[in-house]
Amino acid sequence: MIDVRNLHKAFGDHEVLKGVNEHIEKGEKVVIIGPSGSGKSTFLRCLNLLEEPTSGDIVFEGQNITSKETDINLVRRKMGMVFQQFNLFPHLTVRENIKLAPVKLKVMTDEEADKRAMQLLERVGLPDKADSYPIQLSGGQQQRIAIARALAMNPDVMLFDEPTSALDPEMVGEVLEIMKELADEGMTMVVVTHEMGFAREVGTRVLFMDGGNIVEQNEPKEFFANPKHPRLKDFLSKVL
Amino acid sequence: MTPLTLASWLESAPDWVISLPEGLQTLLFQLYQTFIYQDRWTWFVDGLKVTFIVTIGALIMGIIIGLIIAIIRTAHDSQRAGKRNPVLGVLNAVCKVYLTVIRGTPMMVQLLIMGFVILVPKDDTGSLICGVITLGINSGAYVAEIARSGLMSISAGQMEAGRSLGLNYWQTMRYIIIPQAIKNILPALGNEMITLLKDTSLVSVIMLRDVTKQAQNIVANTYTPFVPYISLAVIYLVLVIILTKLLGIFERRLRASDRR
Repeated sequence: MIDVRNLHKAFGDHEVLKGVNEHIEKGEKVVIIGPSGSGKSTFLRCLNLLEEPTSGDIVFEGQNITSKETDINLVRRKMGMVFQQFNLFPHLTVRENIKLAPVKLKVMTDEEADKRAMQLLERVGLPDKADSYPIQLSGGQQQRIAIARALAMNPDVMLFDEPTSALDPEMVGEVLEIMKELADEGMTMVVVTHEMGFAREVGTRVLFMDGGNIVEQNEPKEFFANPKHPRLKDFLSKVL
Repeated sequence: MTPLTLASWLESAPDWVISLPEGLQTLLFQLYQTFIYQDRWTWFVDGLKVTFIVTIGALIMGIIIGLIIAIIRTAHDSQRAGKRNPVLGVLNAVCKVYLTVIRGTPMMVQLLIMGFVILVPKDDTGSLICGVITLGINSGAYVAEIARSGLMSISAGQMEAGRSLGLNYWQTMRYIIIPQAIKNILPALGNEMITLLKDTSLVSVIMLRDVTKQAQNIVANTYTPFVPYISLAVIYLVLVIILTKLLGIFERRLRASDRR
């Protein structure tokens, strides 16, 4: 579904990604962990070209999205993204936040989008917040709305960029719960997180990034039980 | 026609005026002279029309120019190093020259140059258009920087969120960034509107008969500046108070999403 080949990304002289190769299949739940500065967020943000790669190819559903001919806006409709800071639109109500993209991009009529929004709010457990503004909600609620908003375009894959890192500890659970449900429904997911429990429980594959590359990957049980790379052993000994 | 004097006015004045102390008699006489005699209040009304047209015209023009420049400058500045668009670079340079020239020269001088060097209007309508254009261009430079501060005040995450949903740059600007920016710049924009309204008093140098010029005309007829100029000040004050109130109402409406 997503094929990443020799992906490089540099900010000025600072090389963040040093030739990453990775293949993600439909239905996989790939969890990316690693120390800060390892390039995991940059890697995720390259997948929908929020960061433009310096070189390398990203092929999504058979289309090379790094090529000049690709309309990235059409590709992004199929890739939902959830941010660490939620990034809800503060001037719009929850309902309008969810409806904005489908309606403005003419994917749905206003009525259809309204129905879809209510359906999604039901799913994230916040149907009574439809007409609230983001500022009136807790962090956990905002992130659940952000997930609903990303789902409104019916994406084929969901990208999560440290979705629980900005939350109070007691709100982390409710967001992870929604993500777990999403995973159980078969959504393809790529998740950058520090939640090792989530990686172990929900992930089908865990990647460890360090120094701009994927240094080790495995299915979760083996990954956590038998880390091989010394850097990963060191990392796990600190976070677990 | 013999000029109206206090003495000749008192002859025809009602009895209650004559029984007043001298100071009040003079004040009443000057008020009469300024507003009622020869229907001079219509001079103020005519002048106000010009003031309104120039203010509103320049305001609209200034906001349009300002927004365009702010968007160009913000788009230019938010480019990544090494991925610069050359067209945007040229546009940005033009905008910078415009900002420097307009903000670096006095409004009065700009009016003189537009009125007597560049546009040289031949009739009243021409002068009016010249006034609107000059003030609009002037205001645009200030609005541009206000609008730019507004656009920059919106976190980069908002643009990313919009783009990640498949909206393009302009759609994200229009539906997400600009509505939030407007809310943030409203106080500064109100300031600029007030300044603009008051600066229209300078247009008399290009032969426009705005409310300030009309007050001067009345003084030229009566030789008593006190009442016409104080009245003029009161007129501007009332206009600014009304404008401030309107902006306050608008701002409160936009702040609906901030209420917890």
